[in-house]
Amino acid sequence: MKWATRAHCHVDRAACAWLIRRFLDPDAEFVFVDDPDEIPDDATPFDIAAVELSHHSGECSFEAFLRQFDLADPVLWDIAQIVHEADLADERYDAPEAAGLDVLLRGLSMIRGDDDLLSLAAPLFDGLYEYRKRAILLGREPS
Amino acid sequence: MLLAYRLPREPSTPRIAVWRKLRRLGGAQLLDGLVALPLDSRNREQLEWLAGEIIEAHGQATLWVGELASRAQERELVARMATTVASEYAALIADAEHALEQAPGSRRRSLARLRRELRRIRGRDYFPPPERERAQRAIDALAQVVEEVAP
Repeated sequence: MKWATRAHCHVDRAACAWLIRRFLDPDAEFVFVDDPDEIPDDATPFDIAAVELSHHSGECSFEAFLRQFDLADPVLWDIAQIVHEADLADERYDAPEAAGLDVLLRGLSMIRGDDDLLSLAAPLFDGLYEYRKRAILLGREPS
Repeated sequence: MLLAYRLPREPSTPRIAVWRKLRRLGGAQLLDGLVALPLDSRNREQLEWLAGEIIEAHGQATLWVGELASRAQERELVARMATTVASEYAALIADAEHALEQAPGSRRRSLARLRRELRRIRGRDYFPPPERERAQRAIDALAQVVEEVAP
């Protein structure tokens, strides 16, 4: 399937792309547009103003994906809080990891293009998933 | 970057949420429903989402990229924004000085809270006033005292 989002990805779009490839569509193809008018007809848009898979009711696009596709995995909802705070920093959640994730991805976006950014961010989110999964199973931070 | 918006009086929850977010970003309220922020990619994106949120809450919102017609007006706006954060830094400095008098336990907790607060203020400090440096020094001084009494 083809998915479209805004160019110059940051944390929310990188997290959504990771979620798509891992949980929804392993063969996902991403298109990056500068203007919503450039979204190809056969692509599903995300993290673009006024589309379904985007910010709604103060939630970020990653949260919209979890709702839309009924992904009830508690680890993903845990990551959603981190992505929400990294993207919006509105202190809705207590997610101290957010500041670090924000800086790491912001830095990557300064030295790499969108395709590279998504490939580099994927193992980062895989690791975050594993860490938060163990934390939830253990009931404390894993060592 | 300008956000021109209008939201229904009731319900008040979205009005307050929008107001809080604009305050966190450090927006300068020019008129009722007209807010200015320096143009950068982060502010642009945050204002785009906020405009969407306002429209979802049955309000109206448009985003503008504008510039003031004279340098004097620009200086005035910059000074106004700097004054606002300067007063936030001043409150933080007072808190940090007050925390020096606290018992070691609460002093440590105050330090953590004030560090977070400093980070928040710096996030919306586009035209740093001298108070920024002073606030950092006040936190450093508090940190040193906390460190010294640590077991």
